[in-house]
Amino acid sequence: MGIVTILWEKWREFRRDFYKITLAAMIAPLMYLVVFGIGVQTMSHGEPYLNFLIPGVVSLTTMNGSFNAIAQNLNVQRLYEKAFDQVMISPTPLWQFVVGQVIGGSLRGLYAGFVILVLVWPVHTGLIFDGWSFLILFLNGAVFSVIGVVVSFYAKSHTDVPRFSNYVIMPMAYLCNTFFSTEQMPRGLREAVGILPLSQTSGMIRSIAKGEGFAAVGILILAAYLIVFGLLAFLFLYRKKNL
Amino acid sequence: MIELRNLTKKFGQFTAVEHLNLTIESGEFFGLLGANGAGKTTTIGMLSTLLLPTEGEIVVDGQRLSRKTPELKRRFSVVTQEYSMRQDMTMDEIMEYQGRLYYMPVKKIRGRSAQLLEFCGLAPYHRRTVRKLSGGMKRRLMVARALLTEPEILLLDEPTAGMDALARRQMWNLLRSLNERNLTILLTTHYMEEAQSLCGRVAFLKQGSLQEVDTPGHLIEALGMYAVDVHTPEGAVSRFFAEREQAVAYLSAQKEQCELRETTLEDVFVEREAK
Repeated sequence: MGIVTILWEKWREFRRDFYKITLAAMIAPLMYLVVFGIGVQTMSHGEPYLNFLIPGVVSLTTMNGSFNAIAQNLNVQRLYEKAFDQVMISPTPLWQFVVGQVIGGSLRGLYAGFVILVLVWPVHTGLIFDGWSFLILFLNGAVFSVIGVVVSFYAKSHTDVPRFSNYVIMPMAYLCNTFFSTEQMPRGLREAVGILPLSQTSGMIRSIAKGEGFAAVGILILAAYLIVFGLLAFLFLYRKKNL
Repeated sequence: MIELRNLTKKFGQFTAVEHLNLTIESGEFFGLLGANGAGKTTTIGMLSTLLLPTEGEIVVDGQRLSRKTPELKRRFSVVTQEYSMRQDMTMDEIMEYQGRLYYMPVKKIRGRSAQLLEFCGLAPYHRRTVRKLSGGMKRRLMVARALLTEPEILLLDEPTAGMDALARRQMWNLLRSLNERNLTILLTTHYMEEAQSLCGRVAFLKQGSLQEVDTPGHLIEALGMYAVDVHTPEGAVSRFFAEREQAVAYLSAQKEQCELRETTLEDVFVEREAK
């Protein structure tokens, strides 16, 4: 029930800011696709680079869409508007609040990814996006939503969230199997980056897009991130002395 | 009945509330008074579970209050000192969000919300977003929101701060009528005339410690029912007397400009804080 309330809140937000949200979801990924896929026409891994790029860009778009839908918004609600107090005081169980945020954020990420797929539809790349792709993208969104929840909770000021984006989200967007394969990275770094959630998502989405199977271990890794960051969020909500 | 048992809250080395023991009966209108930093808002924060006590506990009708007791939290509503609302939501949305957070059916939320907004004089603005409201309107909206869920216990942290005199009186009337319907109210305020007018009992906090709990009438009586203000070049000095005759006699003996009046709770507060 509490989860539905949070989803209702997210839906109102989405409906109100529909055009802003849609445009924001489109601009950066579209630029990547135009510049690296159409402008710089090249081949990669024996196929047009665009075919390599699209799964990566869709993955990073769901990451950005989900993280941005939650982190900044929740941080403002907690530190500036104090609107989060309304939730804390209410009888809605706090775990339901977190789950609602994660599902809401994940759907926003999925929507952003879907917008990109619609935009590249006329290109006829032959890439496959099936139910598994959307499930993985949803899971990827869930991971970055819960990271957004945790970052917004632990942030001490409004500038902490953009700082986290700069130092963590943006490097991930470029390095995690999105614009180039992690296999090209030096040993050590390759394994470190490869274990990150976006690398896993990009890898799985790309495999499915090429009509190959995907390693289910990637889903387990995403689930592990979801559980760890979910626990951190619950820990904050139930144990933090001063909210 | 709300019992604060040995309640202590520390922020690092600073003790905001220290070993506070207090019982508030059901249906009581109780005032928590003190200077800035006395621990009033911290106490409300612990009652609303925004803050967790460092020591001690809060017990409501025999059950310990925590963040994991939704059935107890359901009985509370809080009007926080700061405006705690999403700025981009309309009044209707704020009310609906609150009702949903308290598991109210949507139909009931909408009906009751319309009534409360009307009652608080906000009905013509129900589609206006919070960021476009004046301070007084935001306060009234917070009260309307708190009442939406039909609470048994209402915590009010300076609910009339920033309101003009008329709006404040209207708020007093509203709170009185709610208390008459057996709603337990815990109020913090810096307006002593507000506490005197509304509260059945008040507690004075000083630097986090409880100083005294009594009715405003008894506290005033203990200080002296009559006050004489002597206006000296250094400022006004008040003297208090149990009997009017004593006050008149003192007044007559003064060479400076003086005035006789009834003692108020504000005098009690000032005298306590000055010690």
